[in-house]
Amino acid sequence: MDPVLLIIVCVIIGGVLASLGVHLLPVGGAPAAMGTATGIATGTVMLMFGAAMCGLFTASTVATFSNSILLVSLSGAVGSWIMMGVTMLMANIIYVFGTGIVPASGRIDVDPITKESQKEYKTPQCDGHGVPNVSFISGMIGALLGGFGGALIYFALLNYANFEPTTAGMVAMGIFVANAIIAAYNIGGTIEGFHDPKFKRLPKALITCFVISLFCGVLVWLAANIGGLIK
Amino acid sequence: MTVTPAVEEEEEKKPTGGFPPDETRLGIISAVIAVIITILLPVLPAVIKAVGVIFTLLWGADSVRKTSKYGLGTGVPSIGVLAMGYGIVGAILGTAFASKTGYAAGALGGVLIMGGVGYLSGVMSNSEKFIGMKIPGLERGMMELGLAGSLAMLLQFSIVAGSLNFDVVMDKAISTGIIALLFILSCMAMFHPYNACLGPDERRPRTLMLSVEISGLLCAILGIILVVTAGSMWEVADGVSLVIFGALVWLVFYVKFVKAAMREAYSVVGTGLIKTIE
Repeated sequence: MDPVLLIIVCVIIGGVLASLGVHLLPVGGAPAAMGTATGIATGTVMLMFGAAMCGLFTASTVATFSNSILLVSLSGAVGSWIMMGVTMLMANIIYVFGTGIVPASGRIDVDPITKESQKEYKTPQCDGHGVPNVSFISGMIGALLGGFGGALIYFALLNYANFEPTTAGMVAMGIFVANAIIAAYNIGGTIEGFHDPKFKRLPKALITCFVISLFCGVLVWLAANIGGLIK
Repeated sequence: MTVTPAVEEEEEKKPTGGFPPDETRLGIISAVIAVIITILLPVLPAVIKAVGVIFTLLWGADSVRKTSKYGLGTGVPSIGVLAMGYGIVGAILGTAFASKTGYAAGALGGVLIMGGVGYLSGVMSNSEKFIGMKIPGLERGMMELGLAGSLAMLLQFSIVAGSLNFDVVMDKAISTGIIALLFILSCMAMFHPYNACLGPDERRPRTLMLSVEISGLLCAILGIILVVTAGSMWEVADGVSLVIFGALVWLVFYVKFVKAAMREAYSVVGTGLIKTIE
């Protein structure tokens, strides 16, 4: 395949996966810091930024000895997976054993995966608390997709655009973050995961991220081409 | 508290001090200054480029303030990080253009394209058919952030690398990892002022003061990098002057900001350490 197409296709897939991943994370924002909303107590951007960075670290390590696109991308996915898993687990440990809060979803009455009832455990006037099972699983899927997407962009920049590892990492992060933030604007604050009503707004973000990633891919190819990196 | 640096303070004070120009005028002034500096880039000392960096970051901080005033839903930092995400792509494209055409002015091509992408993302974020954020002026804000982010990154590249040649920038500013520092400090200079000052009593001059203060800190750090990585006496002198300039800007605006915050606060009370209960 032509390197032009390869770069653009990889950047687009990576950007769209980043957007999809952001929608699946349990983001609680400021209310979660007080235990009055479900999710992790930080913004979408910070959460995805951390996950993407961890993914890029593992992906770049694997990329030093492997040329397989699948292996590098999957290692990125595993990196952000570990980061999100540990973050959600620690958040839950602090919520449960530190402040004595029961993880419960605020948007649904019955957990769609474990079929556990949530309503009784939800404090009135609250938007849920902690990271319940369904949000945990949703967050794991989101980190997997997001990390895969970020590592895919990294791999394309490294091997098809012939950027150096540092450049590829920074540019991949730039594109990833732009897409993650556009997706975060679509969510507008907090989301619990795929069972959240806000998740239905996903297609709009995907279209926007597709267009933005398309432009970013073309620009990156242009930079690599003019800079004489693509022979 | 020091009151000494009165002379140097005057030249930097104008845009943010007593009467900051309104948003449009500040944008135009900063853009023109940054563009002129970019065109004349190869012959200028680092201190002049640093003035350009301060102005572009000021412009970015003003755009962040203008856009996030309406509430983004995801926190103010997101849009500052977005600006620098665009900025990195735009600046790398700009350096590629600059080394292709042979003129530093070619880098402005990358800046303009990134402004276009910023505008497009603003239109898509605001449009009812796509994300539908319905924030007045988001298109312009995102365009300005794309422009300011790319310009700031380009000027910082040229301070660190000494030129805008693609290979030199890759070699000196990016492969060394300095770009990560530039990225996060420029982000801070853009999003931190409004993030820290927002609230019912937010006042534009005071917010912008904070941006200049962080830019001063950034310039001092750039100067230290320049001294450490210098290949010649000339660059060491450049770096030392940049450190002094940055430290001076930081000190002046830090003092001004703290004084303004104390003056405008209802009251400032020292409570001491928390007492232990017997």
